[in-house]
Amino acid sequence: MSRELANGIFSAVTWIAMGLCGLILIFLLAVMIWNGIRAVDFEFLFTASRNFGAGGGIFYQMIGSLLLILFAALICFPLALGTAIFKSEYLKSARVQRLCAVLVYGLNGVPSVIFGIFGLVFFVNVLGTGISWFVGSIILAMMILPTVVLATYHSINSIPEIYRESALALGLNKWQVIAKVLLPQGIGGAITGLFLGLARAVGETAPIMFIATAFTGVEIPGSFFEPVTALPTHILALAQQAINEQALQNAWGASFVLICLVTVFSALGLWSRKKLKTVGLR
Amino acid sequence: MSVSSKFGRVYVVGSTFISATLILVIILFLAINSWEAIRQSGLRLFTLEWNPSKEKFGILPMIYGSAAITIISLGIALPLGISAAICTSEILPSRFRLYVKSLLELLAGIPSIIYGLIGIVFLSIWVERAFDLQSGRTIFTGGLLLAVMVLPTIVTLSDDALHNVPQKYREAAKSLGFYRYEVIKNAVLPIAKTDIIGAALLALGRVLGETMAVMLVIGGIDRIPGSFFNVLVPGQTMTSKLGREIAETAFGSLHFSAMIFIGLILLVFVLLITMIALTFFYNPEHRLYE
Repeated sequence: MSRELANGIFSAVTWIAMGLCGLILIFLLAVMIWNGIRAVDFEFLFTASRNFGAGGGIFYQMIGSLLLILFAALICFPLALGTAIFKSEYLKSARVQRLCAVLVYGLNGVPSVIFGIFGLVFFVNVLGTGISWFVGSIILAMMILPTVVLATYHSINSIPEIYRESALALGLNKWQVIAKVLLPQGIGGAITGLFLGLARAVGETAPIMFIATAFTGVEIPGSFFEPVTALPTHILALAQQAINEQALQNAWGASFVLICLVTVFSALGLWSRKKLKTVGLR
Repeated sequence: MSVSSKFGRVYVVGSTFISATLILVIILFLAINSWEAIRQSGLRLFTLEWNPSKEKFGILPMIYGSAAITIISLGIALPLGISAAICTSEILPSRFRLYVKSLLELLAGIPSIIYGLIGIVFLSIWVERAFDLQSGRTIFTGGLLLAVMVLPTIVTLSDDALHNVPQKYREAAKSLGFYRYEVIKNAVLPIAKTDIIGAALLALGRVLGETMAVMLVIGGIDRIPGSFFNVLVPGQTMTSKLGREIAETAFGSLHFSAMIFIGLILLVFVLLITMIALTFFYNPEHRLYE
């Protein structure tokens, strides 16, 4: 085969592959947007669901999802911040660094359904909390922890050494250096990581479906140990009755709202990465 | 040491301790709760029949299902995705790259339950018609859906890997009179290889652990197909088994314990892949949080 022919075939193959990928991806996007927009209106967004989800809207599902990730963020953030500070400022041994990285990356690799069954075993059964949205928040916080830790670590760790040295030379002790100099500079990375983690957490079904959500009959929970309804589990329930035309339409509507939430959180993450960049990376 | 310094130290050490031990706690609890099944069934766990009413808990059909959808999905998505990435990174004019990348990132972030919905409404119907089946919910459908699902991730990560190869290698190769194909094959791909394998391993981990989309389209039958390579029949993966059945299983029963054992096996597989990726393809500039 001549070199020219090989080159031609190669170009053709890559273009076809890209065309095919493009078609698939555009089809996906078109399906989700087209079906979604037709299902979403004012009433859909602000009424409770009726008739096992086939009627009414998704108001309480949205509230439930937002509640779950709000508390996930509140639980995850301080933990991730502390871990990142320790990893960056206190931990000097390369071997322990490595061990820490392995454990954190390992946690990141855990499949989402495993978090769900861990929550079921540990919280619901061993601690006896019952089906509770707060447990769902804890589990989601565990799931996004590695993302937030690594983002925070990178932003704190990339602050130039001269900031630490100057602060120490002014007579600040270690913790003052961290609290007054490094945190204000590095907090942007933590916020970026948090938003990106939340973008993932809000769409997860498997971690919360056994432990935190009920399908119907739940509005706003009155205590920490009650179930909520959430968008992903709502879509799951509707997808399982997909022969019902109305249920299917509501599933597309709920999916569209969920995609919008994911996109908003990702966009906030990208925005904060741009706006709140660490000194060292600027 | 001042009070705030002491308190700060306790805080950071404490939170690091919690973060680092979470994974160990998860492994420990899965191991404790699957012990009953290991003790009572032992090696019979690795047999073909799953029938809780007869206390038979063979998990091989689930392992077969997971392996089958992994091979199908990566077999489709890897060649397609890497070729497409070569196109976006090396051939496509760079002014389009930003748009393509944003589209890919958007699609990579879409929750898996929505892919499941698309699988139920479109893909399973298409498979049903194309192969003239009774039901379109088959192992093959699951693999195909997962291929579509990991495609954006594979394309965008491979594209990054190729894009990170310094321009000077391309220029040097070009100046030797290489065609574009030869530049890519001999200069760019060998340098980007490690990162592309890293991307493939990430996709592998994701495919193995994916639950919702698979659960909705795979059919849910705990059986290895009569003829071993016939994937156009309903099946079950480890994840879909857990997703479907664990909520209906009584805590403390042998059945529950066997379910947790499936979870433990799944976790061990995924952690092994993560460790391989970390050991051989560790990249400090990892895009994990982007």
